[in-house]
Amino acid sequence: MGAQKKGATARVSEDPEELARHPLQAILLADSFTTKFRPITLERPKVLLPLVNIPMINYTLAWLESAGVEEVFVFCCAHSKQVIDYLESSEWSSQPNFSVTTIESHNSISAGDALRLIYERNVIHGDFVLISGDTVSNMSLTQALQEHKDRRKKDANAIMTMVVKQSKPSPITQQSRLGTDELFMAINPVTKQLLYYEDKAEYSKGFISLDKTLIADNPSVILHNDKQDCYIDICSQEVLSLFTDNFDYQHLRRHFVKGLLVDDIMGYKIFTHEIHSSYAARIDNFRSYDTISKDIIQRWTYPFVPDVLCGSSAIKVERQGTYRASDVTLSRSAQFGSFTFIGQGTKIGTDTKISHSVIGERCTIGSNVTIEGSYIWNNVTIEDGCQLRNAIVCDGVILKSGAVLQPGVILSFKVVVGQQFVVPAYSKVSLLQQPTQQDSDEELEYADSTSGTGELRSDKLNGDIAPDLSETASELGTGGVGYIWTVFEGAYDEEWRHSVAPIPTDKLVKLMLDKDEDEELLTQDGNVISASRELKTDSDGNGSEDDDNEDSRDDYVSFEKEVEATFLRAVHENVKVDLAVLEVNALRLSYNMASVDCGGAIFYSMMKLAVESPHNSASELHRNAADIVTTWQKLLKSFLHDIDEEIEVILKFEEMCLESAKEFAALFPQILHLLYDKEILQEDAILRWADEKEGADESDKVFLKRSEKFIQWLREAEEEEDDEDE
Amino acid sequence: MNRVGLQYLAGDLSGGNARCIAMLQAFQEAIRDYSTPPEKTLTRDLTSKIGGFVSFLIECRPLSMSMGNAIRFLKSRIARLPLTLSESEAKTTLCSDIDRFINEKIVLADKVILRHAAAKIRDGDVLLTYGSSCVVEMILLYAHELGKQFRVVVVDSHPMLEGQKLLRRLVVKGLSCIYTQLNAISYVMHEVTRVFLGASSIFSNGTVYSMVGTASVAMVAHAFRVPVLVCCEAYKFHERVQLDSICFNELGDPDAISKVPGRVDVNFLDNLTDKQKENLELLNLKYDATPSDYISVIVTDYGMIPPTSVPVIVREYRKEYLLI
Repeated sequence: MGAQKKGATARVSEDPEELARHPLQAILLADSFTTKFRPITLERPKVLLPLVNIPMINYTLAWLESAGVEEVFVFCCAHSKQVIDYLESSEWSSQPNFSVTTIESHNSISAGDALRLIYERNVIHGDFVLISGDTVSNMSLTQALQEHKDRRKKDANAIMTMVVKQSKPSPITQQSRLGTDELFMAINPVTKQLLYYEDKAEYSKGFISLDKTLIADNPSVILHNDKQDCYIDICSQEVLSLFTDNFDYQHLRRHFVKGLLVDDIMGYKIFTHEIHSSYAARIDNFRSYDTISKDIIQRWTYPFVPDVLCGSSAIKVERQGTYRASDVTLSRSAQFGSFTFIGQGTKIGTDTKISHSVIGERCTIGSNVTIEGSYIWNNVTIEDGCQLRNAIVCDGVILKSGAVLQPGVILSFKVVVGQQFVVPAYSKVSLLQQPTQQDSDEELEYADSTSGTGELRSDKLNGDIAPDLSETASELGTGGVGYIWTVFEGAYDEEWRHSVAPIPTDKLVKLMLDKDEDEELLTQDGNVISASRELKTDSDGNGSEDDDNEDSRDDYVSFEKEVEATFLRAVHENVKVDLAVLEVNALRLSYNMASVDCGGAIFYSMMKLAVESPHNSASELHRNAADIVTTWQKLLKSFLHDIDEEIEVILKFEEMCLESAKEFAALFPQILHLLYDKEILQEDAILRWADEKEGADESDKVFLKRSEKFIQWLREAEEEEDDEDE
Repeated sequence: MNRVGLQYLAGDLSGGNARCIAMLQAFQEAIRDYSTPPEKTLTRDLTSKIGGFVSFLIECRPLSMSMGNAIRFLKSRIARLPLTLSESEAKTTLCSDIDRFINEKIVLADKVILRHAAAKIRDGDVLLTYGSSCVVEMILLYAHELGKQFRVVVVDSHPMLEGQKLLRRLVVKGLSCIYTQLNAISYVMHEVTRVFLGASSIFSNGTVYSMVGTASVAMVAHAFRVPVLVCCEAYKFHERVQLDSICFNELGDPDAISKVPGRVDVNFLDNLTDKQKENLELLNLKYDATPSDYISVIVTDYGMIPPTSVPVIVREYRKEYLLI
């Protein structure tokens, strides 16, 4: 039925009813056009890499099928032969209501090229889902599709709906838990229209720039930095033709999306659809490979979990989230910890400890091996006494006895690590030599983000592979085979960002300190963005030991606000003085302040209240202040235990008179006298303050001069007392 | 007093200890504000005043047993005030008595229970708890601080879902947890080595009166031969004897069980006609009674005792708190 319809109308008819009857199509890009998974992707396409023992593309296809897509076009570029062979031999080629068609290309170097080629083929007849073959999701498309269609009916320019998900990036590294960079999106909260998209914001500058027309044209705009782009797009046919019209569009986001947002001639619009409870994420780098594997094992992606997807091949879920195939040979003394997957035909020796790891099929693991947080693919041999932490080990690798893999190591296919050899952290080892000639170009390209290397990869596959065993033996210990890839200058520092290994704590501490310095600089420039304020408080929550001035001052400001609010509440609701004291004390403890600060803050809020309550003349203001001080003197007094604290209050008052409440400036001596009368301030405190001020600048002495008379009087009174004592 | 009552009503204050402490503090405030009207004695008038407050609280939410005990304590203190005391002296004595009750019977008792219970947690244990009990939470965190290696299974149930609050606090502190609903209890009970439960009250026949669902947890644990430890401060013990959970219980809001928050698709009970509603009774019980057979030990501030020893504690304890 669907096929007939398609034949009848080659082009999209404008009638929405007709439109609805098209089978839902999807374009699946089986090539990411990046080099992040090298060296593994030199030998096998990324979409066929096992994710919890099942090739990634299976997750994507299974989701598309469940979401109601009937026709999928798989675009293969690098290693296209392998992808096509795999799909033909898999179950996907023989599904009744789900057709998978492959489109092969050898010269596409970007997603843009791929979409142009698909446009030429003229196979897409309506709205389609654009997705890459490394996306794991379990969301339902129905609602997003419906929203998209409704919008299309109203506005033909709404050509794309992007799926986004809440995900708070780490305030320290400014990357999401998937290892992608912090993403800034401006979205209209009512229409959900996407107005701004920036994934390569320069943190060093600490700000992002928005076009002012964006604010001017929209009644409300929300700028998000806590959304994650799921790379699932519902597109209309126009998207393909747009790619053809703009032949320089390469990257889906950096060129296409940003291009559309900037271009106001055509007026095309992009909308977002936010998902809340369902899962969607794309494997972009090794960090996301690790995160998503864990999510799959913890079943956030249900129903796309290994035991369901494998179907007949009998993988059982056991307690504590462990997955075990039916014919695993597990030694009695092996410890098999939580969240671990063990594939078919794997043998595990005595006293071996495994936790949070995935172990593929037909692996042989000796005794006394420790495996933590690692991904071991098929047919791997690990001899006795090896230690693996946060590593990826590809098919056919052999680890000789006593080898150690430090966190973040990637061992590509068939590498052999020699006895007792320690592979240093973050190294990538492959049988293939690192492509040297193109490197510099490629890095440039990568910076430009076109980074298409499809051609290069297929060249490599064609076989100038010459593993010179004798030469490489030394690189990986005795009997080792493979090349350790050198990391480019400068890139080494960034290696940890995208690695499978969790970010080392010393790195975090260092970053945090750097960030604080940055922020201080920014504050001096007066350029702090509000977002960084929020981030800042978060990083404090993480238990940082940074306790610089900046921080404590901010704390003091918010503390002062809290005290003020408490005080006002106390005044308006007639709270007892004792209770108010208790409340302020609690605040003091929670902000870790001294009682000096409390006194200052309370006095500040009292005076502020006086200023804010209605008054016409200075005398009335004085009376207001006097009333408040009289009522709440007990509260204030309970935080002023010694002279230093009282001096602090005077200083605070002086500051107020200069800055926030200038009206008090004239009343300074009167209020001082009042405080003295009420026994809030002792004469010692006032005199010491006066003495301290004596040596200060001329400008600082304004208030001292004004209250000279009062101080004079105090001094005399003191002398008299002294005389009497004698 | 009004504030506390309204908090009960809104459900902001829940948990036996929190409710009891809030009530006692409200009494303290009321006593401070109190002045004896002319031609009346403080003892009589204050007692009737307190009686008025209590009936107000009961209107907001029925009292728990522990609160009943606390009120009885307060009334006995008032009754035993020497007549020679002046009004202000009497007030300060009462306030300090209340403070002492909170301190000794609740705060310190919890600390003692912590010590006792933590001694029963061994490395490699899998501990199960039901709902959210503050004393169990303290025990788990304390044991974690001591560096013991154990896992926690938090079992929860509709409609309160209090376990999620507990779960959050535990996960934040770095304990490894499993969260499940009460209906999966028989599945998780296999791996559990100990069950820790909180209680609202314990009767003198050893019956534990606690959040609804506790009885099923204890029974399943008993069937799987898993020891059940009930953690309860001794002031919650009551001399009443109760055999089932229907004769004395508290009924919650029936709407709470007919609807599922956040799930608009579950609306099968909406739009029933009045005629149809006549055939329907929504029973939202808050408490149930667990027979003493299913309980291995009760951890209290007087040590770990079998459920059969509860009457002894009640007897001795009563004597003691009259002496305070």
